[in-house]
Amino acid sequence: MRYFWLGGLLVLLASACSTTPVPQAFAPVRLRWARDPETLDPLALPNPSAVDANNLLHLSLLQIDYQRTTYAPALAQALPRAHWLGDSLALLDYELREAAAWDSGQPVLATDVDFTLKLMQCPGLPNENSRAQFGFIREVRIDPANPRRFSLLCRSQGQEILTTSGDFSVLPEASLDPERTLRSFSLAALQDWPAARPPAPAVAALVQRYQQANAARHPNNIPGCGAYCLDDWETNRQLRFRRKKDWWGDKIQPTPFVLQARPRELVYAILPDDAAAALALRRHELDVYPQVPARIFQQLQASPAARQDFVFYTTPSYDVLTVGFNTQRPTLRDKRTRQAISYLLDPAGLMTATQLGQGRRTVGLLRPDNPFYNDSLPLPIYAPARTTALLRQAGWQRGADGQWRQPGGAPLALTMRYRAAETNFATVALQLRAAAAQLGIAITLLPSENSVVTTSLETGDFDLYVRLVKGNPFGVNFMPILHTDAIGTGNLPRFGNADSDRLLAAISTEGNLARKRQLLRRFQVLMREEMPLLPLFFMPYRLAASRRLQHIVAAGIKPGYAAMALSWPASPAPAGQP
Amino acid sequence: MKLAWPSFRAQPAFWLALGWLLLLATVALVAPWLPLPYPAATPDLLHVSEPPGWRTASPAHYLGTDPLGRDVLAGLVAGARRLLLLSLPAVLLATGAGALAGAAAGYWGNQHLRLPVAAATGALGIAWWALALPGEPMPSILLSITLVLAFLARWPQPAAWLQQHSLAFPLDALVLGLATLLGAVPRLVLLVALATGPALTHLQLLTLLALLAWPGTARLVRGQMLQVRVQPFIAAAQASGLPPARVWWRHALPHASRPLLAYAPLSLAGLIALESALAFIGIGQGPDVVSWGSLLATVRQDPAAWWVAVGPGLALLCTLLALQKIAKTTEKSR
Amino acid sequence: MVRWLLARLGRAAVAAWLIASLVFIGSRLVGGGPEQLALGDAADLSSPTGGALTLARQQAAQQAVRHRLGLDLPLFYFSRMAHPPVQWQWHGPANQYHRWAVGLLHGNLGYSYRDGQPVSTLLGRAVAYSLPLTGSAAVLAVGLALGLGLYLAPGPGGLRRLLLGLLAAWQVTPLFLLALGLLLLFANPDFLNVLPGSGQAPEEASSFELASYWLARSALPLLSLVLAVLPELTLPLVALLRHELSAGYATTARAKGLTAAQVLRRHALPNALLPLVTTLTDLLPSLVAGTVVVEVLFGLPGSGRLLAEAAAAHDYPVVVAAVLLSAAARLLGLVLADVLYFLADPRLRPPA
Repeated sequence: MRYFWLGGLLVLLASACSTTPVPQAFAPVRLRWARDPETLDPLALPNPSAVDANNLLHLSLLQIDYQRTTYAPALAQALPRAHWLGDSLALLDYELREAAAWDSGQPVLATDVDFTLKLMQCPGLPNENSRAQFGFIREVRIDPANPRRFSLLCRSQGQEILTTSGDFSVLPEASLDPERTLRSFSLAALQDWPAARPPAPAVAALVQRYQQANAARHPNNIPGCGAYCLDDWETNRQLRFRRKKDWWGDKIQPTPFVLQARPRELVYAILPDDAAAALALRRHELDVYPQVPARIFQQLQASPAARQDFVFYTTPSYDVLTVGFNTQRPTLRDKRTRQAISYLLDPAGLMTATQLGQGRRTVGLLRPDNPFYNDSLPLPIYAPARTTALLRQAGWQRGADGQWRQPGGAPLALTMRYRAAETNFATVALQLRAAAAQLGIAITLLPSENSVVTTSLETGDFDLYVRLVKGNPFGVNFMPILHTDAIGTGNLPRFGNADSDRLLAAISTEGNLARKRQLLRRFQVLMREEMPLLPLFFMPYRLAASRRLQHIVAAGIKPGYAAMALSWPASPAPAGQP
Repeated sequence: MKLAWPSFRAQPAFWLALGWLLLLATVALVAPWLPLPYPAATPDLLHVSEPPGWRTASPAHYLGTDPLGRDVLAGLVAGARRLLLLSLPAVLLATGAGALAGAAAGYWGNQHLRLPVAAATGALGIAWWALALPGEPMPSILLSITLVLAFLARWPQPAAWLQQHSLAFPLDALVLGLATLLGAVPRLVLLVALATGPALTHLQLLTLLALLAWPGTARLVRGQMLQVRVQPFIAAAQASGLPPARVWWRHALPHASRPLLAYAPLSLAGLIALESALAFIGIGQGPDVVSWGSLLATVRQDPAAWWVAVGPGLALLCTLLALQKIAKTTEKSR
Repeated sequence: MVRWLLARLGRAAVAAWLIASLVFIGSRLVGGGPEQLALGDAADLSSPTGGALTLARQQAAQQAVRHRLGLDLPLFYFSRMAHPPVQWQWHGPANQYHRWAVGLLHGNLGYSYRDGQPVSTLLGRAVAYSLPLTGSAAVLAVGLALGLGLYLAPGPGGLRRLLLGLLAAWQVTPLFLLALGLLLLFANPDFLNVLPGSGQAPEEASSFELASYWLARSALPLLSLVLAVLPELTLPLVALLRHELSAGYATTARAKGLTAAQVLRRHALPNALLPLVTTLTDLLPSLVAGTVVVEVLFGLPGSGRLLAEAAAAHDYPVVVAAVLLSAAARLLGLVLADVLYFLADPRLRPPA
């Protein structure tokens, strides 16, 4: 009798599990996120999931076109025109699209852009990151004749401001500041406001209103001009976005890639474990699985059933696995010592071991297909013989106990720091340690928690580190990681002198392509010589998606795909979309 | 006490268990000199996550490699050594300390352990000095020294007064409080807090593991002691004039430690599970320190690598079963 | 008896407060903080900064974050200078601890650093999700443990030995291997695809379908939790039962004419229950704190995952609140264990 009851329960369970729904034309597109966005406040975007969500809800002046890997105008009509003033200022002219409008019907005007930039300066809001990123914009000059035309006065002359100046979400002034109280303050005045002084009453009132709107949890309270609005948010489980019915972007014909918004509904499932997410994909509970780890990708491709149902893409990305040296440590001060250690790393073997051979080896921080890549430099290889030769050149002598010493000094022993949770870093660290141990160099591995690693790297409490340097295809500005001003923040190798600073500044401001190529060749040769960091290889982005999806664009920029371009077959496109 | 262990034919399982444990101990002791084809923490970059076999690599990875490229056989040996040098001493330390603390807490409770007044004033002075509070710690230290001297010199008045006014040391509350403190903070928070500190040496890690494991044994033994304390034979021993410490050590403690024999192997398994949980969350020893727990943790990167789970898992299982068998047989033959 | 119980409960409340305070102070003394995570990576070339971020600007930004989160106040009522001459300085009520304590007295657990939402809402939602799961796992595990203990105690036998071996095997397997194994076995299209490992509720479903969906979806996490906890409960119980069966009164009971099963159930089991009670009350905090491993693997938004992510993100209010809850649960469990000990064994008196 007991068994009958138990068997009945099992039958009930089995019947309740229908695991293969047939996608209809209006079915939601289900994507995987590895973590919860935590906050959907457009001023604070702490993790990639929040950035993805923000791109659905809000629009910026310029947005990334994943098909052509460039920035394309979204709210703006065209890319900005630049006027270089003096030797440190730049004026960028923008014009907003005629059709751009908020949900209420009001047009998006330059005053909204001005308001958003001022909002980034208000104390008490979680906008410190935006403030640091867009602090170079000093003033917004609105054309009195045309409320959609304006110019941004920027404090920097780097070439990248042509695109980064338009990369923030524009927020509505009417919903947060209907009395227009912030217009009486200039952007420069708000930027220069001393931290000790209490904020002006109007600013304090605005901050209060913003906090009451609680955009972190209810982003619909600050309606954006994007194509989607948030339907539902179950923390740590899923988010659902619904396409707006009458969106202004549908009126623009032909629809540029950045204004395409085909799916009617987007569902992001938060699955922190990679293997569980792969199983969910196999069971058709997911449609798109971005940034698949190497082994799981291999197993997915090995299964014939999976090959039938899913398509697989591998795209080279702009993230490069890097080993860095602390150039201010006495043991590593000589560049020959650093070069010697660099010959103990095996980039080819590491690429095979961690990425199954996918990825691109490189001689420097530029990707091999970059037009400025210096292909006359040799690729870094594993050559312990050269290590011993270089160490001897640098004055190290190998003693009877097998250890290397400078005359009258301590033996060569190094510490290596990296984030504990990453297996790629662990493999690199283990390989270096094993290779160094064969030569008598002791390397102590210190995998630590993220905040400990960051603090130690910024204060210089390390000898070596392994990191992923995230790059982008849009510009070549290496000042954040190699300028002497950035020692203590982004310049982890603590490298630099006046000459290298000048070279870096020249690279970032140079507009002439021929001169730029010369400068960048010099730069790559300098990097190779001085070796403050050794880029090993560029990582690939892997994408697995349902075969039935259309318009899949796999790109090498985060997140690796364009969510708004996807669609199911035979689904009537929203009015106006191709 | 004499142990009468059974012969091999009577109970082969017992001798198999003993043999396995001896093999483990031997392998662990001679591990640095074993002629293994691969050292433990060296990744073989060309054969990452390889199934066991002898045709793919030379020398061969007989038990395969894990997702980091480390040889599983070498990892088993290194893990055995770590078991012998770290986990086993930690469990022994935790069990011993926990048993003593729990038994004392259960036997004396909060009222029955009396300390002289001198001890309290001395402790106050030392605490004052250690905290560098304003003012002098000397008065309380001097007072305690005076009291001790007075007691030793047997001045009639102070000695009698001192003997009447001793302080009851709340042993039960202290032990329970400490155990609760260590047990009530979720292990996760403790581990994350540890992760943000400096890397730990071997001895520090040993103490830490023992600190994490002793509350369990302490509470178990305390509970058992509460039952044993009210038995008639304890009252008889006390009535026969034995000092309380001797009654506790010779009579009460052995009976209160009875559940420990079954509990200790579980405690060992728990410590090893803690190691793999540490690796799961992403904190703990680096990849150059191989243990069975951390090998098991790498399965998460490649769930299809069954050989990485089977090797250490079987070793752990055999060790646990062997320990349980030994414990049971020892208990039966008492 | 009642007075003793009230005294114990009072002490438990004070102890929970003390533990939460220790975690409060300890978390802020630990280096690195939410300001690092709020600011993003300075060495990231993909986020534009328009130039190099200098140390001064980064420190100003971090100071702004600390001010917004209230972390620039002194930590406690007094603090000690580390360098000589060693001095103590009094700060008065304008400190972080005082604010937190006053808020706690009013029932306000603070606001999360990550999204500014009240911690009580976050925690309540997470606990409401994981409590039914862990509660039913505990009940199921206890029932199975009692049943298995009664079955395995009598003596060796083929099936019994196999079961004991299986239990020992489950004992040594780490929880995540168990859960992963179950996932790969039962939710894998290549093997048996009978149970969903994750997935969303079907929309517009009848309540029966919804109930069966929830049942199916929680089967795997439940099974892994039960399997993980079962050996810990069963094996000591079996050992104790066997010990009780060899005692004098058991032989007398058999001689009286009772069957072996009756001797087990009515005489041996009550005596062997007490250590089981201790282990059971150890389970209580994990009911509240959830199990990180199972929740991460199956994608469940439970309280264990909340605690783990808050600890990793240095979201102190959430961590302190979760620790308070878990400590309170653990201490309640201890009081419960003592009460059960007293009820089960009349010879015991509550320790004075």
